[in-house]
Amino acid sequence: MSNAPSAAAADNAVEIIGITKRFGAFTANENVNLTVRRGEIHAIIGENGAGKTTLMNILFGLLQPDEGKIRIDGGDVVFTDPAAAIAAGLGMVHQHFKLVPSLSVAENVFLGMEIGRNGLIDHAAQIEKTRGLSERVGLKVDPTERVGLLSVGIEQRIEILKVLVRGARTIILDEPTAVLTPQESRELFQTLRRFVAEGMTVIFISHHLEEVMEVSDTVTVLRNGKHVATRSTAELSKADLVRMMVGRDVSFDRRPREATHGKIVLDVRNLWARDERRLPALRDVSFTVRAGEIVGIAGVAGNGQTELAEVLAGLRPASHGEARLNGRDLTTLAPAEIRKAGFAHVPGDRMVRGVDGGASISSNLLMGRQHKAPWSLRGLLDWKAADKEAEAMIKRFDIRARGPHDTVKRLSGGNIQKVVLAREFTNDPDFLLIDQPTRGVDIGAQEAIHSEIMNQRAAGRAVLVISVQLDELLTLADRILVLFNGRIMGEVAGDKAADETIGMMMAGLQPAGKERELAL
Amino acid sequence: MEILANLVNVALIVAMLRTTAPILLVALGGSFTTKAGIFNIGLEGQMLVGAFFAVLGSIWSGSAFVGVVCGVAAALVFALIFAVLVVSFRANEVVVGLALNILAGGMTISMMKAIFGTRGSIVGQGIVGLPKVQIPGAKALLGSWAPLISGYTPMVYVAFLAVPLLILFYKRTRLGLYIRVVGEKPEAAEALGISITRIRYIASLLCGLLAGLAGAHLSLGYITMFTENMSSGRGFMAVAILIFSNGDPFKVLAGCLLFGFADAFSLRLQTFGFPSYLILAVPYLVALAALFALSYRSRPKIIRETVETMRRLLAAEKTPAAEPEKTLPR
Repeated sequence: MSNAPSAAAADNAVEIIGITKRFGAFTANENVNLTVRRGEIHAIIGENGAGKTTLMNILFGLLQPDEGKIRIDGGDVVFTDPAAAIAAGLGMVHQHFKLVPSLSVAENVFLGMEIGRNGLIDHAAQIEKTRGLSERVGLKVDPTERVGLLSVGIEQRIEILKVLVRGARTIILDEPTAVLTPQESRELFQTLRRFVAEGMTVIFISHHLEEVMEVSDTVTVLRNGKHVATRSTAELSKADLVRMMVGRDVSFDRRPREATHGKIVLDVRNLWARDERRLPALRDVSFTVRAGEIVGIAGVAGNGQTELAEVLAGLRPASHGEARLNGRDLTTLAPAEIRKAGFAHVPGDRMVRGVDGGASISSNLLMGRQHKAPWSLRGLLDWKAADKEAEAMIKRFDIRARGPHDTVKRLSGGNIQKVVLAREFTNDPDFLLIDQPTRGVDIGAQEAIHSEIMNQRAAGRAVLVISVQLDELLTLADRILVLFNGRIMGEVAGDKAADETIGMMMAGLQPAGKERELAL
Repeated sequence: MEILANLVNVALIVAMLRTTAPILLVALGGSFTTKAGIFNIGLEGQMLVGAFFAVLGSIWSGSAFVGVVCGVAAALVFALIFAVLVVSFRANEVVVGLALNILAGGMTISMMKAIFGTRGSIVGQGIVGLPKVQIPGAKALLGSWAPLISGYTPMVYVAFLAVPLLILFYKRTRLGLYIRVVGEKPEAAEALGISITRIRYIASLLCGLLAGLAGAHLSLGYITMFTENMSSGRGFMAVAILIFSNGDPFKVLAGCLLFGFADAFSLRLQTFGFPSYLILAVPYLVALAALFALSYRSRPKIIRETVETMRRLLAAEKTPAAEPEKTLPR
């Protein structure tokens, strides 16, 4: 750096001073300060929408701040694009990988900085260098393999290699473990530890308390775009972190309930299914859901939850087994038939399967029941009735919108989710499949959604909640089943569940004391 | 047997290579845009203006080479307009491509009328065609098989040599790699500071270059004349080949050879007295059949999903929710 850094400042790899970033009326970052010392693992933690990713995108030159400045190694910098940030020794591993599937590992690593010879790309040299680097830093990859054939864990290694090859001394990782298995996460943490031992600096964004406690030296908490605190991890407990993240004591208190277990509504027996790669994604899954009961499915994302939801909803064929809803086997029915059988579905990806983003709230609320009263009048749509119905739902579900004609994609994530809930919950179903009820939803809306789910339970409906957020399941579920690698690892009663027990099962281990053989 | 011998001989293969050349050139041009993620339906128009201006240039200058340069320049102008509208202004590719095709058709006709005062075709008028290239020693080496490699007009050689060059280009050059990346995963290119806009412009212009050469070959190659709409669907056929080859040069070559063969074969059939309009349809029918056969394997997701849903629906109707006699795994 050109400015002669003072001795103290030189210890800081990154300083973010007074950064503010607005998107229209929304302030994503407000006067945020962040100091990252060289050679530490610095976790940035906060809820969805707390402004973590925005802050890192500003640091990496992908966004320009409205106010504030950035110092790298003690010198002021302005990054107008990522190239400048890379040149200053920063590297970022994005949450969504930016790899080209049809190219080899080595080609991806060297993309944009190819090794040339006589004007042609020297593939042999690239492969050689990739192999050398991968062995040196302990990120095992086969440089000749095509990226499209590799698992996400390996893709992440490639992204890290890409960053290293560009000479990064400070690595930013945006939610690196969201897509990883517990095993892969552990390996990643070991790698990060090695990096800082060699004098590099790691910044990683997360909202998983466990891993922050486990791996980071320092934690910075953001809430609603503001900096809350930066502390040494060793001084903090998990409860402290939660309090700082949420801004108040969050009770992981269970919702009060009465035992009202009725007859079996959903009966899943020996269900098998395959994923896109034709590999088994569900292996011999059996469980039941009773009327007036909430069953939770826990697990690290990608352990068969999506496939389970899709099979039940008729969107994916089952390879074996059956899933009976009031006696009818869903695996033989088309989605429309399944819905007619009393099945309501709140899909995990609401923008893809939950709503038509370009349509109005009224239209979205009438979808799937346009042939029924009051939406239909002698075969024609009755828009007046639909709007009236929509207004009632907007009120009942507290959807923050200007009115029934508001376009759905203009709403916030939480409100879009409420539109889906409003439609699905008022169809008078026998069974509700709710996949990630509060993904990307702010705390206030989360509580409202949880209350609605409890209302459905009280109304005697059978509810299956799939969630990657354990707290949510502990709050809602009567029983929790843990999926690992497509199998149900075990079942715990919601009121007796301990985080550790479920955590071990999520990692594919049988909890201690229960010496049962691994059914693999 | 005798008929077959008459049908298939060296001359047929020579004719096949000759008829393959223009469509191969234009399809290889389209390979650049296809790889860069642009659906370029404007190949037909670029080829047509290429053919027309090649004739103009040749008449004015008295040189076939200048004619080719003029044809290429005209095609490049069309390619540039296409790129400006599609890449910079994000207009719909199909609409722009179609508009330019219609413009090319109308423009060549009205210019023909304005300059030559005729409609239909320009013949004679001092058009200088491309010379045939005799490869020295071919006769001595191959005897009666010599026409296989010798005696074509230059564009035929250009077309076939372009295939290995393009394979090398995509595999071993930076630009080729970037074109592929921009088409396959633009966000990866962006993250690494590769300008998507620049790469797509370059791809569009490279496409115009080859489309112009293809046009020049049409009007100055074996026949030295220009007729209205003389590209006669070759550009569209190239688009079809590109969709199913995904722009891979080798697959493009295979598709074009098939089309060229059918074209040459239909010419040959004509001498046997089949009705000519029926025979003219042969290359297109063959191409259709081949594309259908090819596409069945890699059929688009939407068709696959529809078929699957229908199958499920039918299966659901056959087995009403009654007996569950299903085999359990293992």
